[in-house]
Parts: sequence; C-alpha cells; structure tokens
Amino acid sequence: MKETKIGIVSCSGEECLGGTISRLATRKVLEKLRMGETVTICLPLFIAGGEEERLFAKVFPTIAVDGCSKLCAMRATEKYSGKVNAVVNVAEILGEEKALSELVSLKEMPQDYEEIVDKVANEICKKIDKIISDILTKEAMEELESQGKSGGGCCCGNC
Amino acid sequence: MSKVVVIPCSGMGKVYGLIAREAALKVVRELKKNEAETKCLAYLVTGDEEIKNYMQGKKCITIDGCPKMCAAKNAKEAGAEVIEELKSIEFAKEKRAMKPGTATNLNEEGWEVVDYIADKIVEIIDNLEVK
Repeated sequence: MKETKIGIVSCSGEECLGGTISRLATRKVLEKLRMGETVTICLPLFIAGGEEERLFAKVFPTIAVDGCSKLCAMRATEKYSGKVNAVVNVAEILGEEKALSELVSLKEMPQDYEEIVDKVANEICKKIDKIISDILTKEAMEELESQGKSGGGCCCGNC
Repeated sequence: MSKVVVIPCSGMGKVYGLIAREAALKVVRELKKNEAETKCLAYLVTGDEEIKNYMQGKKCITIDGCPKMCAAKNAKEAGAEVIEELKSIEFAKEKRAMKPGTATNLNEEGWEVVDYIADKIVEIIDNLEVK
C-alpha cells in the first residue's frame, strides 16, 4: 500500500461531555491505538489557517469525530476541504442526553469515562480499518486492471 | 451587562490547547459562573447563522495555544468584540512551567498555569464590571 495516513478531525466541544470524550478518544487513537497511521489538525484552523490546512482533508482520507448531533467537525471539514470518509458521533454511542450533559473538565470526568473513551476510540479504529481496507481493495483492483491491459492475460497466470 | 464569552482554542495537537480549554472551563463553571459563559469554537467554525447571531457584538475573551490564534480569529469572524486575546504559552513562560504535560493530560505544572490564566480572566472581567 502507498503510504497513507488517516486524518482525524475532532470536535473538542467546550459545552458538553461529548466534546471531552471526542477529544480524549481522538488523542488515544493518535497516541496509542493507531500511532503513525493517523494525523490531526485543529478544527478551527480551517478558518484561521491558510491553504495548507484546507488541503488537509483533500489530501488525507478523513474521519470526523463529533461530540453531539450538531456534527460541527464533519460540517466544518466538508465546508472547507471536501467530503469526509467517515463520521463518529459520540452522541450515538453515549446516548444524546449523556453526551449533552455539562460535565466537561478533565477534573470532573465520570468514573466510567475510560470505558466510554475506549468505546469511542474503538469505533474510530473500526472506521480507520474500513478506510484502509477500501484503499487496499481499490489498489488491488487497479493493479489487476493495469496487468490485464498490458499483458492481456487473466490473474491465474496461465492465460 | 451580558455575560462575557470566554473562548479557548482547545487545540488537539498541543498541551497549550488543553490548558486554554481547562482555564476557560474553570472561569465559566467555577469562578465567574454568573458573569461568563463559553461557546464551542467548533460550532463557531461551522458559520451557522444561529451562533453568528448570538456572537454579534458580544464581549469576548479568547485564549489561544499557538501563534495561529484560531480562537481570536474565529470569534472576530463570527462578529464578536474580542476585548482580550490571551496566549496560554505566554502564561506558561511567565510561570516558568515549560513541561506542563501533554495534549491529553496536564501535570501539576499544567494545572498551575490553568489557575494562573483563569485568575487573569477573572481580573479582566472584574475590571469590566468596575467600568
């Protein structure tokens, strides 16, 4: 596979627990679960930054991680850079009510927060695996196609 | 006087984004509950009419973690009156706290910088009230 990194653009919503969980789950994926395979830029850079930041989602396959159903990460990425490959909505995993609850500082995390972060981080990893699998399949198909055109034979090697 | 809106950058990639975020939360949830509030920067970035209308002319204090100044720029773009543009890294330098933790977790030094910035914001809001 050509070297491909997956871009993760996360909400870090200040107003609800969903934002805090988005942030922590994204950090866990970047630092531990998919280190080296993933990159991120700060969401607000789409407006404040220059072309380089806006090119981000055009260059990398991108996953938006959102804390609530406003889906700001997805919408902002698509507004400035193009369609995201996948969305993880924390509110769908946690339930809307809990995601919108006001517990937000790291000092105030609920006791079961690590479990919640793991759940969301695993969901992000599933999306990453799917994107990589799709890329590999596409590359394999292109390879087969190019072999077929140049050699005129089928994949068995005998034709 | 309407509430002052405190907007941190919350940057995902750097500890100074996390410091900004925690300082803002300390102000709006503990120190100045009745005088200050925060809004999601990510929501501002979407450019929704609802949040733009809300931010029009609002007095706003931003806290940024890097020189790109995303919080300040986005708040202005949304129509807010940015009365102070704070930089969390400058406060860390003042406190000589150059290893405040990571973008995921703060250590003791990091939490000290959070308190320091939060106190500075309280001072700014108090000055506004006096005027």
